[in-house]
Amino acid sequence: MGQELICFLSHFVMLGRRVFMRTGKKEKMTARTLSANILVTAVLMVAATIAAQAFFHYSSNSTSVAMIYVLTVMLVARYTTGYIPGIVASLIGVVCVNYVFTYPYMNLNFTLDGYPVTFVGMMVVSGVTSALTTKMKYQSEILREREKLLMEAEKETMRANLLRAVSHDLRTPLTSIIGMAQAYQENYSRCTEIEKLEMVKGIQEDADWLLNMVENLLSVTRIRMGDTRVNTSPELLEEVVAGAVQRLHKRLPQAKVHVRVPDEVLMVPMDPVLISQVLINLIENSIYHSGSSDPIDLIVEKQQDQVEFHVRDYGKGIKPERLKTIFDGGGMEVNVSGDSHKGMGIGLTICKTIVAAHHGEIRAMNREKGAEFVFTLPLQEEESGQDYSEQKTEGEYKDE
Amino acid sequence: MNKQTILSIEDEKNIGNYIETILISNGYKALKAMNGMSGLSMCTSHHPDLILLDLGLPDIDGMEVLDRIRGFSNVPIIVISARTQEKEKVEALDRGADDYITKPFGSEELLARIRTALRHSNQVRSSVGVEKRYSCEDLIIDFDKRLVTLAGEDIHLTQIEYKLVSLLAKNAGKVLTYDYILKEIWGPYADMDNQILRVNMANIRRKIEKNPAEPHYIYTEIGVGYRMKEN
Repeated sequence: MGQELICFLSHFVMLGRRVFMRTGKKEKMTARTLSANILVTAVLMVAATIAAQAFFHYSSNSTSVAMIYVLTVMLVARYTTGYIPGIVASLIGVVCVNYVFTYPYMNLNFTLDGYPVTFVGMMVVSGVTSALTTKMKYQSEILREREKLLMEAEKETMRANLLRAVSHDLRTPLTSIIGMAQAYQENYSRCTEIEKLEMVKGIQEDADWLLNMVENLLSVTRIRMGDTRVNTSPELLEEVVAGAVQRLHKRLPQAKVHVRVPDEVLMVPMDPVLISQVLINLIENSIYHSGSSDPIDLIVEKQQDQVEFHVRDYGKGIKPERLKTIFDGGGMEVNVSGDSHKGMGIGLTICKTIVAAHHGEIRAMNREKGAEFVFTLPLQEEESGQDYSEQKTEGEYKDE
Repeated sequence: MNKQTILSIEDEKNIGNYIETILISNGYKALKAMNGMSGLSMCTSHHPDLILLDLGLPDIDGMEVLDRIRGFSNVPIIVISARTQEKEKVEALDRGADDYITKPFGSEELLARIRTALRHSNQVRSSVGVEKRYSCEDLIIDFDKRLVTLAGEDIHLTQIEYKLVSLLAKNAGKVLTYDYILKEIWGPYADMDNQILRVNMANIRRKIEKNPAEPHYIYTEIGVGYRMKEN
């Protein structure tokens, strides 16, 4: 009987191992999962034994005791990884039931009536439960992986769309730069000085515009593609605003901007380079599209738990039908107004991406005269909490 | 008059030509090196008065060129960097570069940086000591009397604020990194957190600038440090 048992056992273990391997779990049992398994098994078994002891004390019914152990074996199989803990648990259970709770007490006797049934029953319960849970875990992992793949694919399309739009937007100014440079050389002797100057000015204008484009693209690389989050640090609000205006003036010296910031010294968590890029994009957008040379207002206001940036122009406003999609590349359509390549589609899309990555909001609206873009940045760093939860899920993921 | 010699170490031909044109048309003698090694040897053989160093060179890393030049010479070095990371600029400054300029740059900007760097190196060399006062438009700082006036009116600064302003003013036109300023004002063992520095700067700005968001005297180089307008 004993030999048969061992044979059966080893066979079962082998079978289990094979199933275990077939489920495609590449991970080996790490020291961590092993110790976790041992701990769970031990705790559950001890608890079961105590419960059984208490139960047995009152009713001395060994069938119920066996049931307790069966239940425990099931739990062990559910909350551990692999088959081994379940099998170990069922072995312990069988021995315990035999040794402690059946007559003759404190004595092993495998020849008892119906004993193999209890034993096989427990084995089967543990095996089936382990198989089920392993499969379940495996499937949820597959699901998660599929989800990840899907998200990546989505990001890939986003990136592809962006690239397409960018190359279109890059090509247009490049065409005029190359064209004008060629025209300049070919017609060098025929052109008047004024014409030449005009050409070179045109080249510079388009090159400047290209520069902002490139800076926008660079800023996108600062947003970690994986989770669209940014590295923020507390920044002095006025410094970032001043930096943005300064950089804008370097490129567009004639731009007129009125700036107003709160008197209070405000530290706002942000990536300063990205936020100044947002400001530059919005101001430049207003300069090119407002159709007015009135100064643009850049006003920053502090609210309870956020700061609000207003970029307001006094031009012709935004067409109502474009308002909805203006941040989603709505500006990429062919410009009806004919102001050629200076469609700021990508610029505004990037603004939205950057603000969203800062957990802020951006919106555009028409005012009585002109248009206004508003975006907010939270004053409190809410990142830390999120960071933590994210790390935790990552950790859990690794464990499984 | 003896022309000042400026060596540009730049691998990009067009930019090299552009720099050369600017330099020559503004009365400097221009030397050109297309890679790090020839730049180093030209530096030893020609003893330029100033070096423009591009950090991205084909043969050796620009940082290494910087280190090697600093190994034997105190010639002012202006680093030319493509706008990538602020870290790179800070590192170059901390490793002994006098200033940096970001691509793309205009001729005015480049010339202003060159003038500033040359002036500061002359000050050191002639050891006459720094000027006794800084004056730029309405702002006057008297280093002897420790007095700051704006359009004739006394500006009341705290001890730390005065130290900060005078440090920047003595290095007017030059960018000073956060770390450098912290070490100068709060000592080498100061907490490396630059928050306190920036809050102090914000307070100074409220005292000397009309609109803190459109500073006229003290500029912020985001992620790097501060630069005071040249007098």
